[in-house]
Amino acid sequence: MIIMGIFNAIDAAASGMSAERLRMDVISNNIANANSSRTAEGGPYRRQMVVFEARANASSFAQIMAQQQSAGSGVRVTGIMKDQSAPRLVYDPNHPDANKEGYREMPNINIISEMVDMMTATRAYEANVTAVNAAKNMALKALEIGQ
Amino acid sequence: MKVDSLLLSPVKLQNTIMDSNNVKDPNEQKLKFSDVLSNALNDVNQLQLNAQRSSVDLAAGKIQDISEAVIATEKATIALQLTMQVRNKIVDAYQEVMRMQV
Repeated sequence: MIIMGIFNAIDAAASGMSAERLRMDVISNNIANANSSRTAEGGPYRRQMVVFEARANASSFAQIMAQQQSAGSGVRVTGIMKDQSAPRLVYDPNHPDANKEGYREMPNINIISEMVDMMTATRAYEANVTAVNAAKNMALKALEIGQ
Repeated sequence: MKVDSLLLSPVKLQNTIMDSNNVKDPNEQKLKFSDVLSNALNDVNQLQLNAQRSSVDLAAGKIQDISEAVIATEKATIALQLTMQVRNKIVDAYQEVMRMQV
């Protein structure tokens, strides 16, 4: 397509919006499971984190060379990883999941850091929306030349 | 203190339009204006169809991401505006020619 060149900025920002939305999903899931002491694979729920990587759509040598002088094409989600830090121990002897000493293993989630992460994701999403709007305005301004 | 003069460095178009004009390919030379125009119109039409499809998919719940549908619509809008500007220029040129004294 000839005209696709003008949409590079919009495509990159759109990939950022998709990525931040996924991050928001993961954070919501973490907050929802902040007190889940059981999971399908056993043990308490473990905090999940998204891993982003810069996306390069190069496959051939010529494309890689061309990319040295052009912007990339947005962000890609590498995967969702689990936080391997130790679970929180809460003294709750009457709970069915409590061990012999009366402690219950709780997810390794700090609700405050999850809230901060959520704010970060929201602001990053807003930044991507602003980038889309700016790119659109630039394209429309260019169409006003000569009027 | 020596200050380097500011030079305007031209932006290079990597691979798309400029290079294809420079290539001395016999097929490229034969590309007619009407073909270019109809190709561009096809692209715009494709974007409009994409936008329509993504709206329908969003309403049907197939798209999880709202931004995907909105961005498809925005792209279609920008492409259509560009098309309208090109059309205006073509009509202007036509009228200019018709106004010529014979």
